[in-house]
Amino acid sequence: MKEFMMIFVGTPYEELGLSPEQMQARMGKWFAWSNKMESQGIAHRGEALHDAVKRISGPDRVVGDGPFVESKELVGGYYIVKAESVDDVVEIAQGFPDYDLGSSVEIREIMVFDQ
Amino acid sequence: MSDEPLVEHLFRHQFGKMVSVLTRIFGLSNLEMIEDAVQDTFVNALTKWRIQAPDDPEAWLMQAAKNRMVDLFRKTKAENKHTEQLYYSPGAHHLNELFLDHEIEDAQLRMIFVACHPALKPEEQIAFALRSIAGFNIKEIAVGLLLPEETVKKRLQRARKKVVDQGIEFAVPSGADLLPRFNRVMDVIYLIFNEGFQSTHQAQIIKKDLCGEALRLCQLLLKRDEMRSSKLYALFALLCFHSSRLDTKISQEGELIDLEHQDRTQWFWPLIKLGNEAMNKAMESDELSTYHFEAAIAGEHIKARTFAETDWNQIAHWYACLLEWHDHDIYRLNLAYVHIQQGNFANAERLLLQIPPKNLADRQYLLFGTWAELHKAKGDRQKANASLKEAIEAVTNDVERRYLEGKLRG
Repeated sequence: MKEFMMIFVGTPYEELGLSPEQMQARMGKWFAWSNKMESQGIAHRGEALHDAVKRISGPDRVVGDGPFVESKELVGGYYIVKAESVDDVVEIAQGFPDYDLGSSVEIREIMVFDQ
Repeated sequence: MSDEPLVEHLFRHQFGKMVSVLTRIFGLSNLEMIEDAVQDTFVNALTKWRIQAPDDPEAWLMQAAKNRMVDLFRKTKAENKHTEQLYYSPGAHHLNELFLDHEIEDAQLRMIFVACHPALKPEEQIAFALRSIAGFNIKEIAVGLLLPEETVKKRLQRARKKVVDQGIEFAVPSGADLLPRFNRVMDVIYLIFNEGFQSTHQAQIIKKDLCGEALRLCQLLLKRDEMRSSKLYALFALLCFHSSRLDTKISQEGELIDLEHQDRTQWFWPLIKLGNEAMNKAMESDELSTYHFEAAIAGEHIKARTFAETDWNQIAHWYACLLEWHDHDIYRLNLAYVHIQQGNFANAERLLLQIPPKNLADRQYLLFGTWAELHKAKGDRQKANASLKEAIEAVTNDVERRYLEGKLRG
């Protein structure tokens, strides 16, 4: 088994101005996706991220306040999942609920160093 | 993680609860800030829950609102004596207690009475109630009431401004003020229900939610000993009877189905039972109201197993009582319809002639539609079609227009 990171990229919910009922529907989809993974035995964990960004850069260690990208490109959170191959994760990612909001999923394999 | 389905309307109901509780703490003058804060809490919850769903979403949100409240308190205490007193005075409620179920309901009750303050115009009362108690956002209210969003926004702003400028208290009024305000509360609930029930259009789900909210508010009042009155029970019975038919009014293709053609086996019996129980309670005292008669009429329709078995004599009697009680052209129009069903064409015509179309405002098409029924019943197809065309000309929503056009063809 390998580990993969699914990175969720898209406009923060705050900017979308969802109504209470839309929030409800959105939530239901996320719970369903999460439940589906659980029932398939796909272990997943992760975190959600706030929108505000601090970026420190350059030899002078300049500190800036972000977001530094367009809001539709903000990383909102990630899952780490276990799977046999990247194709399996692509399959899992079909269930990501926010494609209709213009969001996307990026999949990266977590590197393991063999000594 | 919980396997339970997400509580129905969790966010909407939670919005109303949180806003009411926080208003009790921070005062009506901070209403806008409170609503923004609750909205923030939701967005955070939504973002967080994508990764890790909580075991108890409702409790999670309430806890988040409390935390948010402490934040707000820190921010506002410098300028706001009110919160300081609440926080420090020895007689004050412990803040946690304000989040107990019965205290939340108490806060929501206060909010309903604020919404119905006479300083607010009727249309502002409805918008305010839907926003601050029922948790509809501007877009949803606009869809529900068939209004432009800008209009809803302005109504809400005016309502909030009046609440602050006139120093309206966040309380259920007492003494002589209570009864007129309580009557207005019931009227607003009735109007919210009618918005959901009477006119039909594409956004059927929102419409159903308006009916659901009216029922819920009514139940909230019924929970309180001092609010339980014969009139309130009658209103609740009326809402239950009508609601039981809600799902059979619109076909799967989104077309309107009239009473005659609704599938009566699909009427929702648990609501009818609730309605019957409430009606019995409503009849325990001699106090009567228009709601009593309207509920009696709705109940009479529910009782008939088929349209043909409808007891039109009894219904005509109730409408006559209603007209005596409260002279209104809509009741007169309905009575005329009943007379047509009974074959009393002369009576029907006499009543219809008494109704100036402009009195019905945007419901004028109902008058023309009833004229069409009368002409058709008398066998005058030509006049019937002419009236139908008038009705189609006057109707404002598409579903009803298609219904009338169907009649014109058939």
